[in-house]
Amino acid sequence: MRTLIYALFISAILVSSVSAGQQKMTAQQIVEKANYVSYYQGKDGRAEVSMVITDSQGRKRHRKFIIIRRDDQPTPEDIKKNPALKKNLDLFCKEQQFYVYFLRPADVAKMVFMVWKHLNKDDDRWLYLPALDLVKRIAATDKRTSFVGSDFFYEDVSGRNINLDKHEIVKITKNYYVLKHTPKDPKTVEFSYYITWIHRQTFIPVRVEYFDKAGKKYREYSALKVDKIQGYDTVTKSQMADLRTGGKTVLSYASVKYNIGLPRKIFTERYLRKPPMKYLRK
Amino acid sequence: MEDKRGNKLVEFSLDHPKLVTGLMVLVTLIMAAFAAVPSIWPEKFPSLNSIKIDTDPENMLRKDEPVRVFHDKMKKVMSIHDIVVLGVVNEKNPKGVFNIKSLKNIYELTQYAKKLDGVIEVDLIAPSTVDNIEQGGLGTVKFEWLMPQPPKTEKDAIAVRDKAKRIPFLYGTLVSEDGRAICLYIPIRSKNISYKIYSQLMKKIDTLKGNDKYYITGLPVAEDTFGVEMFRQMAISAPTAMIIIFLLLMYFFRKFALVISPMIVAMVSAIMTMSLLIIMGKTVHIMSSMIPIFIMPIAVLDSIHILSEFFDRYQETKDRRSTAINVMNTLFTPMLYTSLTTAAGFASLALTPIPPVQVFGLFVAFGVMMAWIWTVTFIPASVMFIPPKSLENYGAKAASQEGEEESDHSPLTVLLNRIGQFTYHRAGLIMVVVALLVVIAIYGITKININDNPTKWFTKSHPIRVADFVLNKHFGGTYMAYLLLEPPKQKFYPEKYADELIRETKNLPIAKTVAKKLKEVARSAKTKADFLEQCRKYASEQTDNAPDNLFDAWSSFADLIDAEKQKTEIFKHPKALKYIELLQKELLKTGIVGKSNSVVDIVKTVHRELFLGKQKYFTIPKTPNAVAQCLITFQGGHRPNDLWHFVTPNYRKGNIWVQLKSGDNKDMVAVANTIDKFMKKNPPPFNLQHKWFGLTYINVIWQGKMVTGMLQAFLGSFLVVLLMMTLLFRSAIWGLLSMIPLTVTIGAIYGIIGLVGKDYDMPIAVLSSLSLGLAVDYAIHFLARSRMLYAIHKTWANTAGPVFGEPARAITRNVIVVGVGFLPLVLAPLVPYKTVGIFISSILITAGVGTLLILPAMITLLEKYVFPKTKPCCMVCDFATMAVAIISAVAVVAVNTHQFLAIGWNILVPYSVSIIVVLLIIAFIASRNEQCKWVNENSQTEETQ
Repeated sequence: MRTLIYALFISAILVSSVSAGQQKMTAQQIVEKANYVSYYQGKDGRAEVSMVITDSQGRKRHRKFIIIRRDDQPTPEDIKKNPALKKNLDLFCKEQQFYVYFLRPADVAKMVFMVWKHLNKDDDRWLYLPALDLVKRIAATDKRTSFVGSDFFYEDVSGRNINLDKHEIVKITKNYYVLKHTPKDPKTVEFSYYITWIHRQTFIPVRVEYFDKAGKKYREYSALKVDKIQGYDTVTKSQMADLRTGGKTVLSYASVKYNIGLPRKIFTERYLRKPPMKYLRK
Repeated sequence: MEDKRGNKLVEFSLDHPKLVTGLMVLVTLIMAAFAAVPSIWPEKFPSLNSIKIDTDPENMLRKDEPVRVFHDKMKKVMSIHDIVVLGVVNEKNPKGVFNIKSLKNIYELTQYAKKLDGVIEVDLIAPSTVDNIEQGGLGTVKFEWLMPQPPKTEKDAIAVRDKAKRIPFLYGTLVSEDGRAICLYIPIRSKNISYKIYSQLMKKIDTLKGNDKYYITGLPVAEDTFGVEMFRQMAISAPTAMIIIFLLLMYFFRKFALVISPMIVAMVSAIMTMSLLIIMGKTVHIMSSMIPIFIMPIAVLDSIHILSEFFDRYQETKDRRSTAINVMNTLFTPMLYTSLTTAAGFASLALTPIPPVQVFGLFVAFGVMMAWIWTVTFIPASVMFIPPKSLENYGAKAASQEGEEESDHSPLTVLLNRIGQFTYHRAGLIMVVVALLVVIAIYGITKININDNPTKWFTKSHPIRVADFVLNKHFGGTYMAYLLLEPPKQKFYPEKYADELIRETKNLPIAKTVAKKLKEVARSAKTKADFLEQCRKYASEQTDNAPDNLFDAWSSFADLIDAEKQKTEIFKHPKALKYIELLQKELLKTGIVGKSNSVVDIVKTVHRELFLGKQKYFTIPKTPNAVAQCLITFQGGHRPNDLWHFVTPNYRKGNIWVQLKSGDNKDMVAVANTIDKFMKKNPPPFNLQHKWFGLTYINVIWQGKMVTGMLQAFLGSFLVVLLMMTLLFRSAIWGLLSMIPLTVTIGAIYGIIGLVGKDYDMPIAVLSSLSLGLAVDYAIHFLARSRMLYAIHKTWANTAGPVFGEPARAITRNVIVVGVGFLPLVLAPLVPYKTVGIFISSILITAGVGTLLILPAMITLLEKYVFPKTKPCCMVCDFATMAVAIISAVAVVAVNTHQFLAIGWNILVPYSVSIIVVLLIIAFIASRNEQCKWVNENSQTEETQ
């Protein structure tokens, strides 16, 4: 995986000399592009995710789930507003749905976590607990809580709304845009700012460092492996480390597939109890 | 009774006073330098030991003591830290601290505490750092910080309280049950920074406005603060005691130049001992910090005998040298033996299983011997520094009044004279009173309450004691103990298990491949966990790479392995959780436990909130899967790792966090006993075993060790002293007599402790050995001098008078000087120092009174046995003496063997008894030997004269 990232660096070096002449991107533009690369590639997608949570004592917990994602497509009105969409519908970043179906551990198998990601209001989140035969909505006021006990937050899984932070370029290195993001409403988050290292060629955020109110780094995301899948640069292994607890979580994505043609209807409450196995299987 | 070698040593000192003094100063300076220099510049002398301070009562136990090893391991496994408890109480506001102002202060304080170095931020429990789970609109469950920001309205402030009340984990822990106070639990990286954290918090608190009251407590703070105050106390109380002793000596002996020398001996002995302690790399512990306080009274004891004699005799010759030689001739042997017995008494503490007590005993023994050496050399030498002119009237006032010893009129002399007569004429009465007192003392001893609590080492008015009292009134308890449950380790048979799994997978299309793999795993796997982990990896790889037609088969194999793993996860099983619930109920019934937390509280709370927050769902769900799903829901909060304080990630260990309202060891013992009994009566599922850990529990263990250890050490030293006395006096009856004041003193003191209801704690246990050291001193001096004087006066009637002259005066002066000298310790703010002060004084007074009343009375009654007309030519011929010596010698060996080799009494007793019998027979035959001649007492004494 390291070699892959390294390969990316090399290609970036080669390209950067070419792109040096290009017009300069603003922080906002970089963030938008990185956001697209991280969460919106393809009209939809599917992946099988292995999660390994390791605590400071080296004790490991394994979870496995299938995640499917669908993006809302632009309406004619949207296209009228943004003619660039005509050329590439992919660039449309709007509402999304996620459906996470748990396979393991066995005692949480068939558990489902579903998100409707909105841009201008709080997301809708559901949890289906098969052992209690219970569908619960989870209030989305605070998305910076742990995702199923891992070091990732719910917000890391579905993406943080880019309008919640102010963005500025700290520096531009050979390979990276280094950006600093400061929350517009600091009371709603536990960080005072975070720094992302966005790869200049692929726009993949390779590293994200979170700093607490005392200015101390306490949390760190890294992309460990990137693969090209159906033409999309895709992070297939990533890690979140909590520097305060000494724990870390590694996510590995297998059987990644884009543009499957997922129908909107399977992302509804009705399908929580009856998982759409047709789309979940590879 | 006189020692010629002693004479030579004394004469040498008298002839070379400068050399002796110079040598003493030089040795002291060198030792002090070796201790001080590396302590001041540790980086320049890395090879030398610098001073190491250790205030951790945990170190009362050896590092490899099972309970400590388990405690340390479980602390890590359960990610549990030592905790500083910070309570905020508001008595003025009817809503307590649940008002805008107080909560703002608490928020600010939390933010401050988070940033402190050594504080483990992620585990801090405060309103702004814990999660609230509740209903967030129809069918919605909500996780949010309990108090993300200080509230803006009074209504919001009350809401914080009401929300916390619904979360069992917080109610009674974070928010008081009366809903008026809040407690922050600040976990720290290491116990020995708690005083630092305490001081930093206190400083911050001073800057907060409002009428809130802040209290900080918890065992780590109590223990660390005690350490800090202990050193402060040492620096005040030891010098104070020295000054008072000095003033009293001045009152009795009037000559500054003479009086200063015992002070020098005491200081030199204390400095040398403490220096040696540091040089040898031993830590200065609560126990070893008391070494100087123990050495000083013992060091001046002998000097006072010398001064007293010198003072009484100087006018006879008016010659420094001859008076000194005379005095030393009389005192050399008793002083040697008192020092040896005292040293032996303390050295026997090396037999206790408590490392700091061992160090304490050995170093006090060293100090006592140092004091002896300098007493017999430097004290006579110092006499030679005093110009004869200035001694001209020394002791003259007393001497001129008496002329003859018997006609002294000073109040002390008159009083002692009367006592002497009283003991002679009313010997029977004295013995009856003593017998009565012994009965009362025995009754008192049966009432003794063995208990200790480091928080109670502070006086009642100390902020830590106050905090302890206030917070335990409002909350579930500030003393933490942990009850760990786990199934017993079972033998694992990998082949058998592999066969079982092969049977279960035989219908899969991949059965053959799987069977081969399972057999392979069975060969390498040692534990079931290992077995399943190897299978899990294999199944996962195979599933990922499976061709489409075999994907389902591999998936179901992976599912099977996963399900097998889950079967081992006991603490997801409702049966196990139900049992924890029962244990928690039982804990509450004790009345000592105010609150307990476990995984059950989490599961029940989440379950309730999943079902619309209805109280009837505050239950443990029916299946392990349902439990698991409640837990994974909980882990969707801000603090998913809180779960791992209560169960391990493999759900094989369950932990109940027990909050006790009292840190008294006896209360912890009572709780532990309740659980033992309960678990015996109600057998747990999965054959669960239980074990305690946590500071409160560790204290119980070392207390237990201390009590039995001290008792055996005391028994050992008692026997050693008895043996030494028997050999010294070459007589069983004299040996036994000399033990009487000591026995009575200890009996009386323990009796009083039992009667007044003072807990038998660490300082008291240690003081037993001090009483042994001091009380036997008086008896030796009294008996040795009685024997000498009896040889001159021939009958006790004639001897009693002189004995109650100068020897009794020396003993009385000793009692007064040292006894009063230690009374200022009573003013110390630390209870153990108070205890030491009161008890040194009472030991001295009891031992003094015991020596001056009981011994003469007994001699009066037993004169013909104590002073027999005939004496054996050698000890071997005296069967009684031999018998006592044999029994005590064998017993000493037995006690030591029991301690060091951990051999049980059931083996030792029969062996010891048979050895004693054999030796007694030999001694009996030897005593009947024809060569044994019983000679007339008079001819014997002439020999030694």
